[in-house]
Amino acid sequence: MSMRVGKEEVKEGESESEDVNESERLPAPPKPPRQTHPTTTNSHDYDSTSDIDMDIDEPTHSVKRARKSVVTPGELVTSDPQWMRGHGTYIPPSTTSILSTVAGTVLKTNKLLSVTPLRARYTPEIGDLVVGRIVEVQARRWKVDVAAALLAALPLSAINLPGGILRKRTAVDELNIRTFFTEGDLLVAEVQALFQDGSAGLHTRSLKYGKLRNGYFLSVSGTGGSRGRKGGVARSRRQVFTLTTANGGGEVDVILGVNGYIWISKHVNSAQGNKDISITKLEEQVSLGVYSSQNEEIAPATRREIARVTGVIRALVENGVGVDEDMVVRGYEACQEVDLEEEGERSDWLGGEKGRRVVELAMGAMVT
Amino acid sequence: MAPAATSQVLLSPAELSFLHSSLLLQPPVRPDGRAPNQFRPLVAETDILPGANGSARICFPDGTEAIVGIKAEVEKSQWRANLSEDGAHLGTGGGDVEMEEDGGKPQEEASSHGNGEMSWIELSIEIPGFRDDDPLPIFLAAMLSEGLLAGEELKDRLWINRRFHWKLYIDILLLSPPLSYPLPLLSLTTHLALLSSRIPKLKSEQDEDPLFDDDWEASLYLYPKLPTGKRIDRPPITLLVMAVGSNIIFDPSKEELAVAEAVLAVSVRESQRRENDTSGRRLNLLSIRSVDSPSRLTPSGVPNTMNTATGGSAPVSSQDAVAQRESIDQKGVWNPPRGGVKRALITRIIKLVLEPNGVAQEVMDGLNGVEV
Repeated sequence: MSMRVGKEEVKEGESESEDVNESERLPAPPKPPRQTHPTTTNSHDYDSTSDIDMDIDEPTHSVKRARKSVVTPGELVTSDPQWMRGHGTYIPPSTTSILSTVAGTVLKTNKLLSVTPLRARYTPEIGDLVVGRIVEVQARRWKVDVAAALLAALPLSAINLPGGILRKRTAVDELNIRTFFTEGDLLVAEVQALFQDGSAGLHTRSLKYGKLRNGYFLSVSGTGGSRGRKGGVARSRRQVFTLTTANGGGEVDVILGVNGYIWISKHVNSAQGNKDISITKLEEQVSLGVYSSQNEEIAPATRREIARVTGVIRALVENGVGVDEDMVVRGYEACQEVDLEEEGERSDWLGGEKGRRVVELAMGAMVT
Repeated sequence: MAPAATSQVLLSPAELSFLHSSLLLQPPVRPDGRAPNQFRPLVAETDILPGANGSARICFPDGTEAIVGIKAEVEKSQWRANLSEDGAHLGTGGGDVEMEEDGGKPQEEASSHGNGEMSWIELSIEIPGFRDDDPLPIFLAAMLSEGLLAGEELKDRLWINRRFHWKLYIDILLLSPPLSYPLPLLSLTTHLALLSSRIPKLKSEQDEDPLFDDDWEASLYLYPKLPTGKRIDRPPITLLVMAVGSNIIFDPSKEELAVAEAVLAVSVRESQRRENDTSGRRLNLLSIRSVDSPSRLTPSGVPNTMNTATGGSAPVSSQDAVAQRESIDQKGVWNPPRGGVKRALITRIIKLVLEPNGVAQEVMDGLNGVEV
């Protein structure tokens, strides 16, 4: 094996104490947006100077506003009674002042004050497409990690049986529950119901859903509060798409779970072309392969392209850009351009400077 | 064997199979696109704690972060009867060969050479979520102090006179939960902290009660600098190396560790002996330890032919299951690695680490770039 890495590529310890860069670390909190407050408000509207232990030397209001884009839990957002409190805020009893309950940025919608958390877990909503991992197998259901505060439940009755047979689940199915999903298995599902405690009930009763294989899992969770504004997956029309890759990689499927879990895999042509099949014909269409945990043959070129798509998504998140179909496609194209510019030995590693270049190019493509 | 890497990373058999077969390719396809010997960039700073003799902080790109503080204290030495007669050479067993040759020669009377004791360095590791008597911190501490104690230089520098010595407390604090095996992170942070440590200059002479210069500017580096700014020697570093098939992979991420067939922790030290010898840097191998690969504990994937949900037939007994598994070699099914590491593979790993312009050299050069 030859040593590909020359001295100039050594990144180890290269950065000095000055450029402590938040974005270099992956699960680090995303950057707060640059100043989201409108500047046209009068000085009483947004008052953060009355914090008790901060008023040693009082600067002007405008300076303070500009400096403080992030509020911390318990911090006074305003004491002006004209504001209504929204998410992430709290009014202590017998006062009119609004306190923040999370660390995040203040967001104003007309007269509604809310605080968008910098980092938050995913809050399930009915209809969300999520990627989850089985963490527990119970008698009649699975417990699924979907990056929410509580584990989601997937009942045995909410999955397709192999071969698409429609029947009541029997004791035999309960005994064989691990042949469908077992601990550690990844699946794509839809949120079917929300329980009282905020946990989600899932279902996989569609041909689009089910067990995942032939690919790589990537988590960009932790930005649940940002809804894709600051990195993380945005809710959009299409969460599942197929990318035609270069370099002989073929087609690559990308599943962007709303919960920030992402699955990137080789596209496998299903025997039946059209995926919108009515529930009455389901039994004919559910192939026997849905609960397989055996990978297909995946060409090295496809593996490399899967790694590249992963790198692109990671770079997007590190640079605080929301992930959706559009951005991933643009990012992938930008990555190819950057690769073309590079001469000689090139690295497929999309971190640091190269990742930033890719994201800038992708963002530039969006503006024009 | 040291304990398994992290608390089990939960991955599905399909994922494990994908990762493993990607890493098995020639050249391996790593999930983040790195070359096999490419390290991730890290953020490092030194001298962050004003109250400590030396300190450092390193952030790895996977979000793990560690702080090391080093505190030195003057302590009364225990009286040893034969100290001046034979130099009381206390080998650690792991000491390099050169040192032991020197140790045989008669020593000058008040020299520190060979008088250091192992107990003068105390190393403690704190990892969130772990008690201090859990195996992980204890083994990590043992592995790190093994490297530090292997050479005599550091111990000998703690010698003040026949009655007093410095006691060095190395406190290692992992700030983040141990996402991947934290050994290289802790080792590199300790390396930087030791490089930045200074001890006050001694003013007293011979066996008097020690009196120190209270000017911090006059203090001396624990790892002395030559006038050229270079160090005479440097503290050891420990690298984590893993192997999949015949591929050797450096700086593995936690997913890569989850499919490793062998994980080794290799401690290396760079030494430049004489002040005027600038010809070559020599790398000494201090220790190699194998770390339990978490992949051995993963359940194997079920091939389609044995899965009732995919039209196969389930084995009737566990013996039948083993027989079927052994008889068919199916691609795309995860099978946890079995057996040990080949000797030739370990040789290749050592060669890759130690060769001129090899991986250890590269890491050392990178760490040289950090302002100390």
